[in-house]
Amino acid sequence: MSRTSRPSPWRVALITILVVSCVVTLAPFAWTIATSLKRPEDVFAPGSGLIPHPATLAGYRDVFTLVPFGHYLRNSVVVSIAIVGCNVLFDTAAAYAFAKLEFPGKSVLFGLLLVTLMVPMQVNLIPLYRIMVELHGVSPHLGANTLSGVILPSAVQVFGIFLMRQFFASIPDSILEAARIDGAGELTILRRIVFPLAAPGIATLTIFTFLSAWNDFLWPLIVGGTDASRTLPVGLALLARKNTINWPDTMAGAVITALPMIVIFVAMQRRFIEGLTAGSGKDIQ
Amino acid sequence: MLIAPALLFSGAFFFLPMALSLLWSFTDYNGLQPFTWAGLANYTDLLSDPVFLRACWNTVVFGVVTMTIGPLLGLLSALMLNQRIPARAFFRAVYFVPVTTSLVVVSTMWKMLLNDQGLLNKLIVAVGLQPHDWLSDPGTALYAVSAASIWQGFGFETVVFLAALQSLPSELYDASAVDGAGPIHQFWHITLPGLRPTMVFVYVVGIIGAFQAFDQVFVMTQGGPINSTTTVVYYLVQRFQALDLGHASATAYLLVLTLGLLSFIQLRLGKRFA
Repeated sequence: MSRTSRPSPWRVALITILVVSCVVTLAPFAWTIATSLKRPEDVFAPGSGLIPHPATLAGYRDVFTLVPFGHYLRNSVVVSIAIVGCNVLFDTAAAYAFAKLEFPGKSVLFGLLLVTLMVPMQVNLIPLYRIMVELHGVSPHLGANTLSGVILPSAVQVFGIFLMRQFFASIPDSILEAARIDGAGELTILRRIVFPLAAPGIATLTIFTFLSAWNDFLWPLIVGGTDASRTLPVGLALLARKNTINWPDTMAGAVITALPMIVIFVAMQRRFIEGLTAGSGKDIQ
Repeated sequence: MLIAPALLFSGAFFFLPMALSLLWSFTDYNGLQPFTWAGLANYTDLLSDPVFLRACWNTVVFGVVTMTIGPLLGLLSALMLNQRIPARAFFRAVYFVPVTTSLVVVSTMWKMLLNDQGLLNKLIVAVGLQPHDWLSDPGTALYAVSAASIWQGFGFETVVFLAALQSLPSELYDASAVDGAGPIHQFWHITLPGLRPTMVFVYVVGIIGAFQAFDQVFVMTQGGPINSTTTVVYYLVQRFQALDLGHASATAYLLVLTLGLLSFIQLRLGKRFA
C-alpha cells in the first residue's frame, strides 16, 4: 500500500465521504439542541437557522415545572442502577455455577435458560402485566405502577449469564482447586478470586445492562400508567405524542434523556462498543 | 445456591407468563371476567383481519428496508474505515453515538426533522424541489420511520463489520496480490467469505430487532396514517389496550413462531455457506 506523499484523489474522496457522513450523523443532534433553546414560534419559522435567536432556556424550565421530568429522571436513575446491581450479582453468580461447578440437572437448566434468549419480551408482555397487577394487590410497593414493577422482569438477563460464563470459562480450574485445597469456601473463592478476575466482564455487563435499562421503553410504558413509575423515555414519548407538540419543551426532554448516555459513551467508548457488540464473536480492536 | 435467583426470576417472569400467554391465546380472556375456551378462533380471526395482515406486511417491508440498507451502509463505512485514514477511532465513535441513544429520543428527533415544515423540507426547498409531508402520507410514512431506524442502527453494523474486517488474516491478501488479484477480486473472494459469520450475526440480531419494531411507530406515527405504519408489535399493544387479550396473545405466539423459523433458516444458511 505505498502511496505518494501527495494525497491521491481516491483518498480525498474517501475522507470527504467520511466527513459528510459524520455531519449527517451529528446534524440531527445539533438541530435537536438548537430547537430546545428556541421559542415555540421560532421553531418552524422560515428564517430560523441552527443558532437560536433569541435563545431561551424556557423549554428546560417547562419540562421540570409543567411536566415532572425531574421525577422521571430520578426514576430512570433508580431503575437503571437497581437493574445493573441485580444483574451483576445474579447473572455473575449463576454464570459461575454453570461454568465451574457440577450439580444435577445442570445441562437441562442451562438449556431452559437458552430458550429465554430466543423468545422476544413482547410475548410475555400481557401476562407479565397481569402478574404485576397481582403483586400490587399483595403490597402497594410492588408490581404495577411502582418502580419494582419496572425493575423485576429485568433483574436477571440470560444474555448476561452467557456473557459472564464465557469469562469464567477462561479462568483455569487449577487456581480454584488450589484455593479449595487451602480450605477456602465457594463464597470466598467467588469473592477473592473469581470476581477480581472477571472484572473486565463485569464492566461490559454493567454497561450493556445500564444502556438497555436506561433506553428501555415498551415495558416501562405498559407497567406504569401513572407518573409514579414513568422513566424518561416514557415521559418523553408522551410529550412527543401530543396533538399539538411544544417542540422546544419536547427537544429539551430529548436532550435530558439522551445526554447522560452520550456523556458515558464518550467517557468509556471502548468498553461501550465492546459491551454492545459482545456476541459477534470478534474482538474489537 | 448460586443459580437460585436466576431460576426464580426466569420462572416467575418468563416461563409463567409464557405459559399464560399460550393458554390465553386459545380463550376470549379480557383480563376482568373468567374466560371461555375459544379453540383456534383467535388465530383464524387474525389471519382474516385486514389490519393484522397489513401489520404483518408493514413489518416485513420495514424489516426488508432496514436490513437491506442498514447493513449495506454499515459494510460500506466499515470498508472505508478499514483503509489507512486519519482519526479512525473518531469516525467510528461518531457513527456509534446514535446506537447509544434511546429509540424514543431518535424517533422524537426525526419526527421534528420530517415535519412538513421541518429541516428536511427546508433543505429540499432550498435546492428547488417540492416539500413533502413524509409522515402524513400513507405512501411514505413507513419509509420515513425506516429511515430514522436505519440512522439509529447503522453504527452498530459499522463497528461489528470493522472488527471482523480487522480480524481477517492479512497473509491472504498479500498472497492473492502476489498472484495478481485486484481489489475487486479480493473483495469477492476473500473479504465477503470472511465476513459470512459476522453477516449471520448481524442478520439474526437485526431481523429479530426489526420484527419487534414498536417505539418508532408509537412516537412518530401511532400506526397511521390509515394503518400504513402499524407493525405487529404495535398491533399487539393495541389489542392489549382494548382488553382483547386472546387476540393479543395469539399475535404474540405467531410472532414467536415466525422469529423462531427465521432464526432457524438463517443459522442453517450460515452453516451451509460457512
